[in-house]
Amino acid sequence: MSGAHHIVLIVLFSAAVQSGTTLLYPTIGEIFAERSGILNLGVEGMMIMGAFFGFVVTYITRNPYIGFLAGVLAGGAAALIHAFVSITLRGNQVVSGLALTIFGLGFTNFYGQRWINLRSPVTVSQMSVPLLSKIPYIGPIFFKQDALVYTSYIVAIVMWFILYKTKVGVHLRATGQNARAADAMGVNVYATRYWWTFFGGLLAGAGGAYLTIAYAPFWLDGMTAGRGWIAIALVIFAMWDPLNAMVGAYLFGGIDALQLQLQAVGVTIPSSLLNMLPYLLTLIVIIIATLIVRVKHISAPKELGIPYNREEK
Amino acid sequence: MIRFEKRESTSTSLKILIPTVSIILGILIGAVAILLKGINPIKVYQALLIGAYSSKYTFSETLVAATPLILISAGLIVVFKMNFWNIGAYGQYIMGAIFSSYFAIFWSPHIPKVIMLTVMVIAGMVGGALWAIIPALLKAYWEVNEVISTLLLNYIALFVLKFLMYGTWRDPLSHGFPLSKPFPNNAQLPRIIPHTRVNLGLIFGIIAVFVVWYLLKKTKFGYEIRVIGENPNAARYAGMNVAKNIIIAMIISGALAGLAGMVQVSGIIHLLQIKINPDYGYTAIIVAWLAYLDPIVASFFAVFLGGLASGAYQIQITMQVPFGIVGVIESAILFVLIGSEIFMRYRLVFDVGKKKHSGQEETL
Repeated sequence: MSGAHHIVLIVLFSAAVQSGTTLLYPTIGEIFAERSGILNLGVEGMMIMGAFFGFVVTYITRNPYIGFLAGVLAGGAAALIHAFVSITLRGNQVVSGLALTIFGLGFTNFYGQRWINLRSPVTVSQMSVPLLSKIPYIGPIFFKQDALVYTSYIVAIVMWFILYKTKVGVHLRATGQNARAADAMGVNVYATRYWWTFFGGLLAGAGGAYLTIAYAPFWLDGMTAGRGWIAIALVIFAMWDPLNAMVGAYLFGGIDALQLQLQAVGVTIPSSLLNMLPYLLTLIVIIIATLIVRVKHISAPKELGIPYNREEK
Repeated sequence: MIRFEKRESTSTSLKILIPTVSIILGILIGAVAILLKGINPIKVYQALLIGAYSSKYTFSETLVAATPLILISAGLIVVFKMNFWNIGAYGQYIMGAIFSSYFAIFWSPHIPKVIMLTVMVIAGMVGGALWAIIPALLKAYWEVNEVISTLLLNYIALFVLKFLMYGTWRDPLSHGFPLSKPFPNNAQLPRIIPHTRVNLGLIFGIIAVFVVWYLLKKTKFGYEIRVIGENPNAARYAGMNVAKNIIIAMIISGALAGLAGMVQVSGIIHLLQIKINPDYGYTAIIVAWLAYLDPIVASFFAVFLGGLASGAYQIQITMQVPFGIVGVIESAILFVLIGSEIFMRYRLVFDVGKKKHSGQEETL
């Protein structure tokens, strides 16, 4: 293979990691919300809130990191609506999550008109990690990225550790498996669910903000374009494990980057079919993942989507 | 201390009170959102009401928007009753439009109108049903999560439509715009109110509402899906075929969404294009929930939300108020509605200074 091919592939895979980062944050967030027993189908809505506030605050402050933080908090704030409705009021989590998506898309359309097609004046700068970036292939793909990508690696690893190796993780998993037993262990079920639903929102906001700050630094109405739903599908693909989420996110980031690349070089496949690819493959992968999950007897958290009522026996 | 105490039975007055309060609160939250944008909400709502209900013509446009909502929500109620989350009416609607448009675009304009329209109605229903069978089979046999599969199929349907409209279905005379050739007269649903766009589709909607009502109340199928919705394990022990019922329910739901898509292209737009308002598929979910899954009540909420949508189209043009306000209002209504359901099952009890409560209503 010639050097030019290498460069093309490295550019493609590097773009795959960036596209994957917009999915990795929300997928990890939803994994933890679901682990606590809360199904939040509002990821798309929380992502678009994060994308919008991330963009606007970056535009105004000219500081992408402050913008990112704003996007993260916007996602978290949106999640609190779902938390209140589904934890305190024990409302239907499917419908509440859909309402959150409708809310996010409506809100950002309503307030976003004057930002449409504006480009962000600044973006996050790339920085090479010493030593690691020198590794052949891996280095230029994973370690010549920006700080927000590196943060996502750290989040995935730290959250994996918390989930499986700490008391917090034990309590979290117990809450999603059997809330009453967790309660008996002394876990505050309501507080646990509130916190992890909020955390899920923070990370969904992070994914959205990364989209408008780094991956596609402009604002378009509805620009998350279903990424939130792909993230929810990736939770099953990842079997509720944050490290598996990395595999899924970069796989889909790769498909996304590939279809954009193919369109850029002008292949004869119609763009509508290329655009369809990520959704079609997500569907196929989710079918395969569901079958594997069944064969391996892995299941979703047992009390996913079931409200907890402390006073009822 | 304030706590929730279990109710013995749900009162019907709450079934009226809660949706009413939800709508009022939704409108108030919408008003705050408008105010924050520096616009006078009273003027916006005034214009919205005028745009939706003030004259015979504007009200007819509300009915035009309500028609697909009536059709789709009637179908959604069937699947929602069994706790099957069909979020895919959007895609099923698109498929209905595509399947029926095929005949309008490629068949002869000289075929008798009755035959052409019958074929298109069937094609629309088949298109929607086929798109709905995919997630039904995946759920029934492999337990694939239907929320995710129906949603992904929405995006896929949209790209199928785009593929056709930028490809072989585009009218050579459309100057490159993604429009099909206009439907000939024999492929246009007749209008039922002169000088308006209200067409036969509204009658289809009314028929669908009564068919669904009958199915749910008077047939074994209706009984079985209710039992499955309430307790799938009990249903299995009782010997009910859950998989079969999922598939039948989804065929009904998809067919009605597909018919709504057919009505939109054949009755309103008179050609196929990318913008055929499939978002009705999401709004219909709200309609079904506001009505607590009662198809007859749902048709009234369809007129209400149809009015909101058609009024919002008007104010988007006349007052530059973005259409997203509808999403803000609708989501606020839904949050309040879902959040208030707790009052159907529990009552609020204020026990001041009481240390112990009887607890007899607490047990399940």
